[in-house]
Amino acid sequence: MQNSKVHYWFIAPALLLMFILLILPVIVAATLSMTDYSLGNSSFNWVGTDNYEKLFSRRSYAKMFSASLTYVLIVVPISVALGLGSALLISSLRIGNELYKAIFFLPVMATLLAMAIVWEFALNPIMGVVNDILRSGCDKRLIYGFFTGAWYGADPLQSWYGTACADKFPIWLGDKRYALGTIAFIGIWQGFGFNMVLYLAGLTSVPRELYQAAHMDGADSAWERFKLVTWPMLGPTHVFVITISSIRSFQVFDTVEALTEGGPSKSTYVMVYAMFEKGVRQNLLGIGSAITIVFLAFVLVLTLIQVYFVNRRVHY
Amino acid sequence: MAGITLQGVTKAYGSQSVLNDINLDIADGEFLTLVGPSGCGKSTTLRIIAGLETQSTGDVFIDGSIVNETRPSKRDLAMVFQSYALYPHLSVHQNLITPLKLRDLTALERIPLFGHLMPERGKKMSVISSEVQKVAEILKIEPLLDRKPGQLSGGQRQRVALGRAMVRNPAAFLMDEPLSNLDASLRVHMRAELSELHRELKATFVYVTHDQAEALTMSDRIAVMMDGDLLQLGPPDEVYENPTDIRVAEFIGSPKMNILPASCDDKGSIDCLGQKIKVKLKDKTKQSLSIGIRPEHLVLQSGAKSSFSGELTYKENLGSDVFLHLDIGLETGKVVIRTDPQDANSAKIGDKISFGASPNKYLVFDANGKRIDARGKGNS
Repeated sequence: MQNSKVHYWFIAPALLLMFILLILPVIVAATLSMTDYSLGNSSFNWVGTDNYEKLFSRRSYAKMFSASLTYVLIVVPISVALGLGSALLISSLRIGNELYKAIFFLPVMATLLAMAIVWEFALNPIMGVVNDILRSGCDKRLIYGFFTGAWYGADPLQSWYGTACADKFPIWLGDKRYALGTIAFIGIWQGFGFNMVLYLAGLTSVPRELYQAAHMDGADSAWERFKLVTWPMLGPTHVFVITISSIRSFQVFDTVEALTEGGPSKSTYVMVYAMFEKGVRQNLLGIGSAITIVFLAFVLVLTLIQVYFVNRRVHY
Repeated sequence: MAGITLQGVTKAYGSQSVLNDINLDIADGEFLTLVGPSGCGKSTTLRIIAGLETQSTGDVFIDGSIVNETRPSKRDLAMVFQSYALYPHLSVHQNLITPLKLRDLTALERIPLFGHLMPERGKKMSVISSEVQKVAEILKIEPLLDRKPGQLSGGQRQRVALGRAMVRNPAAFLMDEPLSNLDASLRVHMRAELSELHRELKATFVYVTHDQAEALTMSDRIAVMMDGDLLQLGPPDEVYENPTDIRVAEFIGSPKMNILPASCDDKGSIDCLGQKIKVKLKDKTKQSLSIGIRPEHLVLQSGAKSSFSGELTYKENLGSDVFLHLDIGLETGKVVIRTDPQDANSAKIGDKISFGASPNKYLVFDANGKRIDARGKGNS
């Protein structure tokens, strides 16, 4: 049996497919990132690490990294917290939890591109429903007083709402101060339902007897029991949810493409959009590939953190 | 230390009634076992005492005061769960100090890092540590203190769960089938240890089990429950010798008590499977009856004076005893006789075997399964 080579034949198809479909594209991208190749050209020149040097020295790429990281740093914590919060609330319901689950999960199932069009209308500075609602509060003393802080004696014009009422409400997607935040808001709206479902699954695996033991041990408030039982028992779920939503946030593309196209002044120029713009629109495959490789490195690092660092601490 | 009293406790989930009018008086320092088949309401009763569930009607008293509205943690009880319910992310030591920290430290003192700044915290923590040390010594779990529950064997987890209950020095211990996750030999060993612990602590123990052997071996008193009713309450030997209900008679004792169909004529004499039984009833009305007799009270007999006979279908040899399973033509099952190995030696599968019992060992139950006072005269 030692000399038989037959086992290679058994694993060969799987290895071959894995190589062609998964590993080869990465190698091709890595190779292309060292060239100035454009699609349609018959030849290319080796440029070494030029593409990478551009990535890490030019201002527009600095904006790209900053937009992507800012987006991830806004979306991940908020969508994870909202997912956990809504999962806790829903699991405490006796009736209606199926309905809430369906509603919160709707944006996850919906095509983001179609939803982006709806958001574009809603956020339109002139006829959008968002600014309509905000504007209608300006002449209601109760609402105006509450949001401007006039109630507790602050100067209304010092507050965001006060100045907006006096002047005009923001162009959500056309103003570089607001665009990334607005895209992030849509990302959270779209993504937290997914985290909620993962947390709901995690919550069902927490043994009920642990809560009863916590009751007996004197954890009287819901907060104490959350700290003592729920939070630590959800450890593996936390790691999974955070990793998945980080990767998904790094991958944000369709809202940017549909709503802002990376602008205004590159404030929403996230990595995957940059890849698309350079590699596909401008046919600069070299720099596009370089962005892809850097992107892969980010995702790889996140995955490695999950596997080697956190996984060991949350499985008891 | 405290006694526990249940008065007219009922529990229903919607229209489904799971406990019917439970009245129970558990004395201070007593080891009381709630025993019954699964689904009989014994665990629900324990949870009601603990405060983890609320009764539909009725009152629970601990140490003479009513606790219907009292939170579980304020009832001063400790519970040991079937799954042990140890916090898997905490070490054994942290598991043991958790109930004490929650009881003795204020919310501010429990905040990580900031809590260490509070003036009283150090003093309290050293008291807690010495308590934990004491309990760890009693249970011999000191070498395990730094391990996580996942690294312990079933028996060790069992001890840690006991320790977590003991550190608070509670008024009573509630135990919900604590031995059923252990292997057979460890279970027998832990029975003895629990009894010993009960003697040492002199605390009230309320113990729930479906295993009648655990109930008989450890308790001061047994409460047999079935279908939400408390059928009989008494010391183990009384429940064993003198069951008041046919369901208790069948549940307690292994192998099961033999139940034979019988009838009584209007002169009060009993006919069982065509044999006259020398038992007299006070109530001389015609009725159908059941006769219960324990396997160890049946004796092998030979010749004409025998009462019953049947075909030997199976011999169960336990070394010290032999159980003979006899087919006497009953639809409800075989009759089991417990006998010495020497007496059973000659019996072979398929043999016709005659047996009988002394009349004062017969237990008579009426058609509803209630025990009837009956007197047997002498030996047969």
